[in-house]
Amino acid sequence: MASIARQSPLLRQSCLSAFRAPWASKNVAGVSQVVAFHASANKQILPPLPQSIQGTMNDPAPIPHSHPVHGSYHWTFERLVSASLVPLCIAPFAAGSVSPVMDAVICSAIVVHSHIGFDASITDYFPVRRVPKTAAFMKWLLRAFTLGTAVGLYEFETNDVGVTEAIRRVWKA
Amino acid sequence: MSALRSTSRLFAASKPLFRPAVFARTYATVDPVAQVSATGHATTSVTPESKTSTVQEPTPSEQPRIKKFQVYRWNPDTPSEKPQMQTYELDLNKTGPMMLDALIRIKNEIDPTLTFRRSCREGICGSCAMNIDGVNTLACLCRIPTDTAKDSRIYPLPHTYVVKDLVPDLTYFYKQYKSIKPYLQRDTPTEDGLEYRQSPEERKKLDGLYECILCACCSTSCPSYWWNSEEYLGPAILMQSYRWMADSRDEKTAERKAALDNSMSVYRCHTILNCSRTCPKGLNPARAIAEIKKMMAAH
Repeated sequence: MASIARQSPLLRQSCLSAFRAPWASKNVAGVSQVVAFHASANKQILPPLPQSIQGTMNDPAPIPHSHPVHGSYHWTFERLVSASLVPLCIAPFAAGSVSPVMDAVICSAIVVHSHIGFDASITDYFPVRRVPKTAAFMKWLLRAFTLGTAVGLYEFETNDVGVTEAIRRVWKA
Repeated sequence: MSALRSTSRLFAASKPLFRPAVFARTYATVDPVAQVSATGHATTSVTPESKTSTVQEPTPSEQPRIKKFQVYRWNPDTPSEKPQMQTYELDLNKTGPMMLDALIRIKNEIDPTLTFRRSCREGICGSCAMNIDGVNTLACLCRIPTDTAKDSRIYPLPHTYVVKDLVPDLTYFYKQYKSIKPYLQRDTPTEDGLEYRQSPEERKKLDGLYECILCACCSTSCPSYWWNSEEYLGPAILMQSYRWMADSRDEKTAERKAALDNSMSVYRCHTILNCSRTCPKGLNPARAIAEIKKMMAAH
């Protein structure tokens, strides 16, 4: 997050000026400054560091700590959860039945699926070697959100009508 | 396959007829700097060609077909100066058909300070990999678009450290290649003590893998590799890793799989498929990565 706040004020200015009316972009001398609109502006969110090579040119790059739990098992589990969500999301509406067990299975699958998905995004965009504190903060934030979602869904299932029934009512409303 | 690619460039103009712009997928490209005003930029940005001089064609022919080439220039001897886009004008009648011919002609006849790597000029060595008109490709396999109204833009491979002009630093790429142990690992000799034999079926598995020339076009087109190139191996290296995992003579498949079994080495691949799209040799690194994932899931 700190890195996002680090963009220079000049950059922000050039982003804003894209939305300004054409007459506003004329400066005192009357020379128009054309600023092209960029959906993805030239923001340096994580500017590259100067190049550094560990060891000599002939040493191999270090292999990250390997374990199936965050490697292949994790990937297989992720794919199984994603694939199982497809029938799980169709089944209650196709069958027309509302069962608390089914609801519980769907909810837990969705919570796990979204947790894994957001976790992958954090790993991608907050590299631990660059922003270790931000990465740790985002991981804990995600855990808090996942826990909050899980508790919320549990409350909704136990004290209210449940997810399937709620969607059905909204659909028919 | 690569021959098809270069000829298809000739027919590129007919594409919008069949494909509406909404559905057209674009390559991951370097920002066209010409569209951005030079003010208010980070220091790493490029001085656009509108702010630099244009070098004219030295000896135009009778009816010249002048095409502009905008080339990324950066000199390590003057590190405080920003990189800039230098415009060169060439008469296509006097230039060979490929981008590399244009670059060589610029270097020979216009500007000897222009620096780029080249060796075989026929797509075997992989030295002349660069970003041409927004696509990572080999300059020697890339035809010059004959449309002289449009400028051609030539950059070094994206998200690489630039040594000079169009020369990227591939040190870490080669170190990553070394980390996958790209050689035959085998302890048991054959019964007759002669060479390690393969059946034609086993040999066939290596087709489409061994042809890779490690030009780094695919790896540097992969957004995931841009973000995490220190740990993610990237499509080129992973395809070579699979080349040794798929080899029937290699006996260290389990060790190779174990070395990849972490969250970073393979699983930062999100099947973006830029690698297969950009490969100048027409190979399919994304398929190799998918095969690796399948092998790892099955063990």
